[in-house]
Amino acid sequence: MSEPGSGAPGAGMHAIPAQPPPARRAPVLGAIGVTLAVFAAFPVLFTDPTTTSIAFFTLIFMISATAWNIFSGYSGYLALGHAVFFGSGAYAVAMSAKSWHVAGGWPVFALLPFGGLIAGAIAIPVGLVALRTRRHTFVVVTIAIFFIFQLAATNFGFTGGTSGMLFPIAPFSAANYNQPFYYVALALLVATTFVSWSVRRSRFGLQLLAIRDDEDRALGLGVKTRRVKLGAFVLSAVPVGMAGGLYFYFVGQVFPQFAFDPLFDLALALMAFLGGLGTVAGPLLGALVLESLQQYLTQTFSSDAIYLIAYGVLFLAVILILPRGVVPSIATLVRRRHAARSHPAGTMPEPRLRETAA
Amino acid sequence: MSPLIEVAGVSKAYGGVNALSDCDLEVHEGQVNGLIGPNGSGKTTLFNVITGYERIRHGKVSLQGADITNTTPDRVFGLGIGRTFQLTRLFMRLSVLENMLVATQRHEGWLRSIVRRAGSAQEKRRALELLDFVGITRLAHEPAGNLSYGQRKLLELASLLVADPAILLLDEPAGGVNPTLIKHLADRIRELNRSGKTIVVVEHNMEFVMSLCSRITVLSQGRALVSGTPAEVRSDPAVLDAYLGGEDDPSTQRQLASVAPGSAPAATVGTPPAASPRFPRPSPSEPRDDALLRLRNVTAGYGGGDILKDVTLDVPRGSITCVVGPNGAGKSTLMATISGLLRPRLGDIRFGHEVISGRTPKRILASGIAHIPQAHSLFPDMTVRQNVEMGAYTISDRALVRRRLAAVEELYPIVRDRAHVKAGSLSGGQQRLIEFARCLMLDPELILLDEPSMGLDPLTRGFVFEMVQQMNARGKTILLVEQNARAGLKLSSHGVVLENGIVRLTGSGAEVLAHPEIGALYLGGAVATAG
Repeated sequence: MSEPGSGAPGAGMHAIPAQPPPARRAPVLGAIGVTLAVFAAFPVLFTDPTTTSIAFFTLIFMISATAWNIFSGYSGYLALGHAVFFGSGAYAVAMSAKSWHVAGGWPVFALLPFGGLIAGAIAIPVGLVALRTRRHTFVVVTIAIFFIFQLAATNFGFTGGTSGMLFPIAPFSAANYNQPFYYVALALLVATTFVSWSVRRSRFGLQLLAIRDDEDRALGLGVKTRRVKLGAFVLSAVPVGMAGGLYFYFVGQVFPQFAFDPLFDLALALMAFLGGLGTVAGPLLGALVLESLQQYLTQTFSSDAIYLIAYGVLFLAVILILPRGVVPSIATLVRRRHAARSHPAGTMPEPRLRETAA
Repeated sequence: MSPLIEVAGVSKAYGGVNALSDCDLEVHEGQVNGLIGPNGSGKTTLFNVITGYERIRHGKVSLQGADITNTTPDRVFGLGIGRTFQLTRLFMRLSVLENMLVATQRHEGWLRSIVRRAGSAQEKRRALELLDFVGITRLAHEPAGNLSYGQRKLLELASLLVADPAILLLDEPAGGVNPTLIKHLADRIRELNRSGKTIVVVEHNMEFVMSLCSRITVLSQGRALVSGTPAEVRSDPAVLDAYLGGEDDPSTQRQLASVAPGSAPAATVGTPPAASPRFPRPSPSEPRDDALLRLRNVTAGYGGGDILKDVTLDVPRGSITCVVGPNGAGKSTLMATISGLLRPRLGDIRFGHEVISGRTPKRILASGIAHIPQAHSLFPDMTVRQNVEMGAYTISDRALVRRRLAAVEELYPIVRDRAHVKAGSLSGGQQRLIEFARCLMLDPELILLDEPSMGLDPLTRGFVFEMVQQMNARGKTILLVEQNARAGLKLSSHGVVLENGIVRLTGSGAEVLAHPEIGALYLGGAVATAG
C-alpha cells in the first residue's frame, strides 16, 4: 500500500509480459482493518488519562507528518515551516469560537474545518513566494516565513500577544475527557491518510513524483509544475491546520511560542524521514514511533532531556541501518526476497533488447 | 511551402561566449530535418531556445506563423513539440510505465486529478503499445534507473509519444548507442515520420543523419552555415571546413563523403589516427601471466538481478584493453565493479597480487585504479585547476601534489592556460582532457575509461583517442569501454567482447576486430560461443 505505483496492475493490463509483483490486496486490506480496530479500541482498553493523552498527541503528529509528506515527501521539496499552518489553524479555531460565541464541547470540533480552510488560504501566498525557489533555497525561505509568523503572533493585538488565547471549556467528564479528542483525531487521521494514498496513486501524485525526480523535464512534458506544487502545498497545509486547532483545543489555550514552534517543523521532517519519505505508511510509522516514545520518556522520567537523547540514538540507528527510511528499505527487502524466490540464481530473466531490436 | 517552425535571428550568449549568434532555422512539415555541426556549434542551445528552456532577447521563434518566442516548456509541449535530451533524462525512481504516463494530456478538474488513479486503462494500453513500438515492453515495471543507456534512450522517446506531439526534436538519439540499436532507432524514426510526424535530429553520427534526413542544416559557431539536401551539404566545402577547422583531416572527409543517402547503415567508424610510431604498443601475444588485473568468475548486478555473469578476464600490464558490446551488455557495470562502486556478488578481482574485490572505492583508488566514468564527471562550477586538484584530494603531501600538478600541466597545457576558467564552460573534448588530468594526479597504474568519445565530433574524438594512447605510452594500463567498437579496438592491444554480461570473445584488438562473428554481434543475432 505504501507504493501503489509498483503494485497491483489495473484492469486492462493483463497483456504485459513482465509481471509486476502479484497483487496482494486481501492481506493489505486485512492489515488496515486490524490496525483501525486496534486504534479504535485503544482508549477503551487503556482508560488511564496519561496513556490516552499520549495516544492523542501521537495521532496529532501522525496527521501532521502524513499531511507534510503529501507535499514534501512526494515533491522532494523540504518544507520546514508547517508550524505556520499548525499555529494558524489553532488561532483560527480559537478566534472564531470566541467571536461567534461557540459553546465548548462538540460545536468547537465543527470549527476545525474552518481552521483547515484558513491554513490552506495562508498556504497560497506562502507557497507563491516560497515556490519561486528550489531545493536548499526553498528550505531556507520556508524557515524565514515561519519566523515571520511567529513574530506576528507575538506582536499583533488580535492574537492576544504573548498571553495567547483561551478556548471554550470542554464540558466532558474528567474520566473521559480525552476520548472525544482521540476519536476526532482518529477520524482526521483516516481522512488525511486517505488523501495521501489517493494522491500517491493519482495523476496529480505522479506529476509530483516526476517533479521530485526531474522538475525541468516534467515541465517539458507538459506538467504545469508551478500549479501542481502549489496545489500540493495547500493540500498539505489543510490537515495540519485542523490538527493545530484540535491540539490546542485539547490543551485549552494557544500561545505563540507553542503554536509556532520550530521543533514542530523539525519533528515532522524527522518522522517522515524515519518512516520513509514519499511513502504513505512511512510518516505514519515514523510519527507513531517517535511521538509515542517521546511522550512516554517525558512522562516516565519527567525530564525533557531524556527523550532528546533517545530520539538521537534512534535516528542515528535508522540513518546507519536503513538510510532511506524504514518502509522503503523493508519494501526493497521484501521485493528482493520475492525475486530470489521466483527466480533462483541464474534464471533471472534478462531484459534483452536485441531480440526486439533485431 | 512555409516552414512549420521558423527560427529567425536568434542570439544567445553565456558569460561572453556566443552560443548562438543570429541563427536561422527552418523546419519543414513532414520531413526528417537534420541539424549537424561540430561540438559547441549551438545545436542543443537551439533546441533549448525552441522548447523554452532558454529565454532569448534577440530573435524570434514561430510555429506555423504564430510567435512562440520564450513560451514556457510546458506550453511548448502542449503545442505539440516534444524533445529528448542529449544526456537522457528520465524519472529514475519511477517505473518505466509511470514514466510513460507523466506526459499523458488529460483535461480534468482538480479534484478528479487527485482522486482518480493515474493512467486510465486506455492510457496504459497506449503506453504499452508505445513501449512495444520501441521494444521495451517487458521492462514496463522496472524502475527507470535500472535501464541500460540504450533502453533509456528508447524510453525517453516513447514517453514523448504518449502525448502524440506533431514535432519531435531529438538531441543525439544515436549518441552512445550500439549500431544495432542505431538501426532500430532509425527505423522507428522513419516510421514515426511516415505516420506524419515532423522530426528534427541533432546527431554526430553522419551515416545516421545522412541516411535519415531529407534536409540538413549545418550549424557552426552559433550560426546556420548551410541548409540543403544531404548531397548538397556533403559536397559543400564550407561544411568540411567547419568540422575540420580549416584543416584537411582525411578521416572525417572520408566519413562525410563516403555515405550515400539511403545506404544501409553500417557501423559508423571515425577512423582513429594511427598510433604514432614513437609509442610502440605491446604485442598482442604478451603472456597472460603478466596480467595487472584479473577477474575470476565475477558475478554482479544491482538489486533486481545479475548483470555480469561469471566474467573471467585479464587486463595485461601496459595494455590498452578495450571492452566492446551492445548496449546493456554490462560494460559500465564491469567498470563499476572493478572500481568498487558495485560489490561483486560472486568471484574475485585481483590487482597485481592483491584481492581488491569487496574493498571500498576509496581503497581501490588508493591501490592505483582510477575510474573516469561515462558522461561528464567534472564539477562544472569549479575552475579547471580546482577540478584537477580534486584528483589529488586523498594525497596529503603538498609537495607531491605540486610536482604532479606541474607534470600534468606540462602534459596538458590547457590545465595551466585555462586554470581559472570554470570547467563547465569548456568544450566536450577539453573537458575530457581535464578528466584525464584529474585522474593522472593520483598517478594510477590502471585507468578505467568509460566511453571517452561519447558526444564528441569526429575530429575531437580522434584527438581524445590520441591522448589515450599517449597515457598508455607513459606506462598507464588502460581498460577502455567504447561504443564505437572499431575505433576502440583499432586503438587497443587487447579486445574483449561482452554480451548480456558474458564474455564472448577475447583476443588482441585486431583479432577481435577481424573475428567473423563481431559483425553479427552488432547487427543482430548472438555470437556463437567460441569452442
